[in-house]
Amino acid sequence: MNPLASKKRASLLLIAPAALLIFFFLVLPYLTIVVMSFRVPGDGTPYAPGFTTGNYLHFFSDSFFLQQTFNTLMIGAICTLVCLVLGFPVAWQLARGNSRLRGIAYGIVLSPLLVGIVIRSYGWTIILGNNGMINRTLISMGLVDRPVGLMYNTLGIVIALSHVFLPFMILPVMAAIQGIDPSLESAARSLGASRATIFRRIILPLSMPGIQAGCILTFVLSLSAYVTPALIGGSKVKTMAVTVVDTLVDTFQWPFGSALALMLAVTGAVIVVIFARMTRMKWKAA
Amino acid sequence: MSKTFFTIFCLLIYAFLLAPIVVVVLASFNSGAFLTFPPQGLSLRWYVVFFHNEVFWRAIKTSLWIAAVTTVISSIIGTMAAIYHVQFAGKLKETVRVAMMAPLLLPEVLTAIALLFFVYTIGIGTQTVLPLIIGHVLITLPFVFINVSASLESYDVSWTMAARSLGAGPFTRFWRIMLPLIKPGVIGGALFAFIISFDVFTISFMLKSVGMSTLPIQLYDYLRTNFTPEAAAVSSLSVFLTLLVVVVTEKFLGLKIHRF
Repeated sequence: MNPLASKKRASLLLIAPAALLIFFFLVLPYLTIVVMSFRVPGDGTPYAPGFTTGNYLHFFSDSFFLQQTFNTLMIGAICTLVCLVLGFPVAWQLARGNSRLRGIAYGIVLSPLLVGIVIRSYGWTIILGNNGMINRTLISMGLVDRPVGLMYNTLGIVIALSHVFLPFMILPVMAAIQGIDPSLESAARSLGASRATIFRRIILPLSMPGIQAGCILTFVLSLSAYVTPALIGGSKVKTMAVTVVDTLVDTFQWPFGSALALMLAVTGAVIVVIFARMTRMKWKAA
Repeated sequence: MSKTFFTIFCLLIYAFLLAPIVVVVLASFNSGAFLTFPPQGLSLRWYVVFFHNEVFWRAIKTSLWIAAVTTVISSIIGTMAAIYHVQFAGKLKETVRVAMMAPLLLPEVLTAIALLFFVYTIGIGTQTVLPLIIGHVLITLPFVFINVSASLESYDVSWTMAARSLGAGPFTRFWRIMLPLIKPGVIGGALFAFIISFDVFTISFMLKSVGMSTLPIQLYDYLRTNFTPEAAAVSSLSVFLTLLVVVVTEKFLGLKIHRF
């Protein structure tokens, strides 16, 4: 055996543990969900022997689950939009700013990632609750005489989720803006382009890869978020991820829960692919 | 004018980002029996209640040792994978990267469910802590991988060559040359692994063994039925701990975090 081949073989030992871990505990488990979704629902056990397509038929024939899937997708889309609108200016400031405060600002953007999601959602319940900060303030100022519904509804979920996933929008967009040569902007300005034109014709198209990455991340994360909608929505408003976990943990319907989870994943993935196609084409044409 | 408006807009968003964390910390010093705003007075009352609460302390201990074990395993496996990825993968480089990042890109709730079914299908179930550790290693692996890979990209292979020509064996080359040079990446990755493992909820919630509880699970259970500021005291302690870990790591070990 020549030395090059033996070196190559030795180097495989480096990747072996990670590769085995990913294969056995990520690839195989995902295949298990697919198999599970075709299992026969059990009586007293999580599932029974045999296979069926009944779990999917159940999903498609029940307007409750269809409606909930739609609502979850809408929540995801709205969160993505909110994060983009709120995140872009901050990403721009972080990428282009040169003040001493930039380090602090960057730390603030990263800070939510270092605090557990349960704690962050809890913080939002303190702010949004009927007895919470906002309602207390509004009542004491005499603006309203009954608490405004900010929690246990879709609005509360959207507010909290947008907060939780905002860093995932800011960081990729910031990276994309950092990659744009500032002299392009000066060139455009010297040729008489207005600020709006520079934004529309230069910044936006060139930062598109970052925007795309940020949108996809935010969308996927908000679809699959569990803790935040469970705590903010309570038992009144449920997103699909909450229903899936309830179906699995509380009522032990593993096959049906798997079908629900996969339907959400598949519709989410289809939307992501359509979005990626659309944004790419549009900006190539422009 | 528009520049002022822009700055104010950004400041509001920074406030929005910090709001829930600041509110939790403020609420923990509330002296009232319920969470009210403005706080009814300053006191450490809820910290005292929490310090006497056995349940939360057990959960914190569980979380700490699980995070420690996870960090060690994840750092070793992730660093090895990163070395392969940067120096040996060749044509497979992109494939390796996607595979290693997969646990971060796939929805956590789906990964948790998948692992739960899998451990039951192969018969190990959730009687032991093993499934939980596997889940934590899986979810923290991308953070180690990406941080170490970033450090390795600026590592010059000719340094390894030079050491070899001077007679250093593979382990000496790793310990004496490569590891000290990629240290910031390894430490950054390990730090992230520890914090993520300490904070992760869904994976732990699905894979925990009966009667076991990590801090996020305990908090979540508590919050579903209780509204006293005790939870705020627990949360604040967790925030302070994280902050302490980050600051100490930064001061003494030097830190460079690459999250994406």
